[in-house]
Amino acid sequence: MIVPVGAVLVLSAVLFGIGVFGFLARRNIILMLISIEVMLNAVNLSLAAFSRHFEDLRGQILALFVIAVAAAEVGVGLGLVIALNRNKPGAGVADLTKLKW
Amino acid sequence: MTLLTATFYYMAAASVASALLAVTRRNPVHSMLWVLVLFLHMAGIFLLLGAEFLAAVQVIVYAGAILIFYLFVVMLLDLPDEEAQPRFANHWPFAAAAGLCFATLAWFARVGTGIAPAATRAAVEGPPQGGLAAIGMALFGPFALPFEMASLVLLAAIIGTVVLARKRAVGS
Repeated sequence: MIVPVGAVLVLSAVLFGIGVFGFLARRNIILMLISIEVMLNAVNLSLAAFSRHFEDLRGQILALFVIAVAAAEVGVGLGLVIALNRNKPGAGVADLTKLKW
Repeated sequence: MTLLTATFYYMAAASVASALLAVTRRNPVHSMLWVLVLFLHMAGIFLLLGAEFLAAVQVIVYAGAILIFYLFVVMLLDLPDEEAQPRFANHWPFAAAAGLCFATLAWFARVGTGIAPAATRAAVEGPPQGGLAAIGMALFGPFALPFEMASLVLLAAIIGTVVLARKRAVGS
């Protein structure tokens, strides 16, 4: 067969790690959201790989639901970013300390 | 190594490289464009895995809709470049060591489970799957309830976004 499934799983783990690193290392809230997208994509990749490996369509269906939830998350997240930016221009997470006491 | 396997390894290397560039560029727009490259290569890997519909959805929804949405917001808000400050304090070697321990643990767990020998061999040659008809039958058959719930989730997200991003009337 074309693609070794183990290699796809390793690739998925590496991409997930890169996403975690990006989420922790970026200070811009939009780029943190983008890192979450990278992580979700890595999960989709491993779902597709398992779907291929077990010859079962359910993995692909689950990946489709993950994409739908990711779309919802992007909508709400970017709405939050716009609302935050209206209150306080410059979307850096270090500035968002209003809820601290 | 066949041509398609070589294609897979190219796609894998390109995705890792573009993901690394995406999380390290300072300019948010450059970062977005690298994520676009990552998503397109990911769609190619889905094609190689026999998931044609997933590849199409990846291009249309992720690269076409979600990323354009991000770009719109970035350009509307006119974000500045990130200022260069060290984010991690000098205890990052401990964090790296913990991550390495976790990776080793995951490796041994993988060897310990029954999946491991199957996962290391190449996937079996099977009948063509992942066709649009099979996915449609599954989505509207056994997965009809989750499908409807996904539409509810999207509706809730739309309403939430409208409420959050609406401009409040002055004085209210």
